[in-house]
Amino acid sequence: MEALEPLQLTLEETNVITDIFSQAITGELIGMSNFASLADTIDDPYEKMEAVEHANSERNHAEGFMHYAKKNGLKTNINLNSIYWGNVRKQFLSYAHKKNFIACLIIQEVMLESFAVAMYTDVAHALGGKAGDLFLRIAEEEKEHLEHSSDILRAALERNPEAFVNKFEEIHFNCMTILSEFTATTDLRGHCGVCNGDCMKGSLHHIGLDIETLRGNALALYAQSLDDIGIPGEKSIVWIARLPA
Amino acid sequence: MDSTSSSLDFAIIGHQDSWQTITSFINTLRKPDLPELSIEQTKKVFPFIPPREIYKIDVTSATGRKVKGAYIETFIEPDKLTAEYARKNVCKVMKAIALATKIGAKIVTLGGFTSIVLEGKVAALNEGRTHFTTGNTLTAAFIVKAVEKAACQKGFQLGKSNVLIIGATGDIGIACMDYFKNKVGQLLLCARNKSRLQQVSNSVMGEQIQYKSSVFLDELIAEADVIIGVASSSNINLAGCKPGVLICDAGYPKNMDAAFENNALNDLFHGGMGQVKGGYSFMPDYSKEVYSFPVPHVAYGCTLEAVVLALESKYEAYSFGKGNITVDNMEKMYSLCQKHGITLSPFYNSSGLCKMKGEEAINF
Ligand SMILES: NC(=O)c1ccc[n+]([C@@H]2O[C@H](COP(=O)([O-])OP(=O)(O)OC[C@H]3O[C@@H](n4cnc5c(N)ncnc54)[C@H](OP(=O)(O)O)[C@@H]3O)[C@@H](O)[C@H]2O)c1
Repeated sequence: MEALEPLQLTLEETNVITDIFSQAITGELIGMSNFASLADTIDDPYEKMEAVEHANSERNHAEGFMHYAKKNGLKTNINLNSIYWGNVRKQFLSYAHKKNFIACLIIQEVMLESFAVAMYTDVAHALGGKAGDLFLRIAEEEKEHLEHSSDILRAALERNPEAFVNKFEEIHFNCMTILSEFTATTDLRGHCGVCNGDCMKGSLHHIGLDIETLRGNALALYAQSLDDIGIPGEKSIVWIARLPA
Repeated sequence: MDSTSSSLDFAIIGHQDSWQTITSFINTLRKPDLPELSIEQTKKVFPFIPPREIYKIDVTSATGRKVKGAYIETFIEPDKLTAEYARKNVCKVMKAIALATKIGAKIVTLGGFTSIVLEGKVAALNEGRTHFTTGNTLTAAFIVKAVEKAACQKGFQLGKSNVLIIGATGDIGIACMDYFKNKVGQLLLCARNKSRLQQVSNSVMGEQIQYKSSVFLDELIAEADVIIGVASSSNINLAGCKPGVLICDAGYPKNMDAAFENNALNDLFHGGMGQVKGGYSFMPDYSKEVYSFPVPHVAYGCTLEAVVLALESKYEAYSFGKGNITVDNMEKMYSLCQKHGITLSPFYNSSGLCKMKGEEAINF
């Protein structure tokens, strides 16, 4: 698909692309809010500064998507309290309030970023043109966050492997369950509250995508991230097998 | 706990031969509280998962020595083993190889289809402290020794028998041919690619050996007293074979089981298999889900080659490429097996332990 030119797109294509932008903007704003909340709760000045920096980076991503959508007449819908995004945020806040920096990093930088990097990359290849470039550039930046956090989490695992893996397991089931329901073939909890009309999952074929591949690639990157951190494969296979299908 | 810090004697890289097996394994992990996934649901997730270590394996030798290994699942899709998926499959195998190296396994076997996609090119992988083998030498040794044993039980004189090898130009097929060339009445060689079959046939020409070769199975099958199946095709047509023919089915997907079901006059067993008398165990214990043999402690020849090499602290590419297996190496590997209490598996097929014609179930 060439550079996004709304006039050249069918209504179905425009609708699904609009929903993709709505989800991307909402996701980036959730990321921004997560890091802003984290900055508020941590004492270490360096960690605090890093959290603010990350919040700003997510804000820039959201702005990039919003700017593009506006310029191209996409009527996006932003809803931070939507069912899935809102629940992810609640999970994040529950750890942020306990000043659990590592747990926050796991949710934002491993779980959410794995999904963002994989999905943005697939969307970029499907859209092509300027929209594709935008998604690809942001995916690259999110990838850096993912890699950076892997280094920190690997070190945390080495300090106390058993406690780390147990904590990770708890967060996995609290948070990845929501993301798995969100990306299931059918909406397991009703309308997500972000898409304009019906769930966009059924319309992705209009731009050459399908939810199974998007979700599969996202889970693959998540599994790869767990490997990079050093979570034993015999654990992660059980974690993944026990997610909603 | 970090899997990178543990040191392993051996690793097995493998794949499953049906979606049913994969789904039943995944559903075990979902027990007892989550709803079972259907095969269709499993297919939507698991082909995407990168290769990973699924369980650890402890093996005990008859000498008392113990070795520790790991099973790495490639998540190669069982219905996508054909050439059109080669790139994707090679990519999965290479990721599994990287993982085996990362977890520090000293000797790694490429089980089943995983060595075939790399065409056995494991020698180039042998850098650093992790070494790779295809495991084909022991598979071939188990095949030929089991054929000799079964022939003896059936009262066949191999020296007067016609032995048909289906898949004669493959790594294991060539090894079987080399082993039997001076021991049987006549060799019958079959594979589909004419020029490769010609090349392999030329290697026995002039050796005073009776042989025939053909790309058409039906031109050879009527003469066969013994059939060795080492092709990578399922449902090979056995029509026209002699009543009472002895069949060793060692290929995957199972080459002849389906055809055999309607052919109860003949004796068919699954070949290339061994049994560990000292036993082995899995951690976590998934034996109920992944173990499918009718008697305990049976394993594939290719996986047992890595175990034997680990028990001997012999970390090398014992089997590599195609056509490099020597009869001498087969004998050496087989005698190392004996030393460690690793014997031929009892004869069995998909219906259970074999009852050779007119006999009780055979147990060794
Ligand atoms: N039991 C065990 O532990 C164990 C271990 C390793 C391997 N195996 C199995 O043993 C088999 C052979 O392995 P390998 O490494 O020797 O494989 P390979 O080198 O790829 O050889 C396979 C051979 O089968 C021939 N072939 C394929 N389809 C055929 C057909 N329909 N009719 C006749 N010939 C056919 C191929 O030649 P053409 O393409 O020219 O026909 C080739 O000669 C594989 O199925 C493998 O999974 C078993």
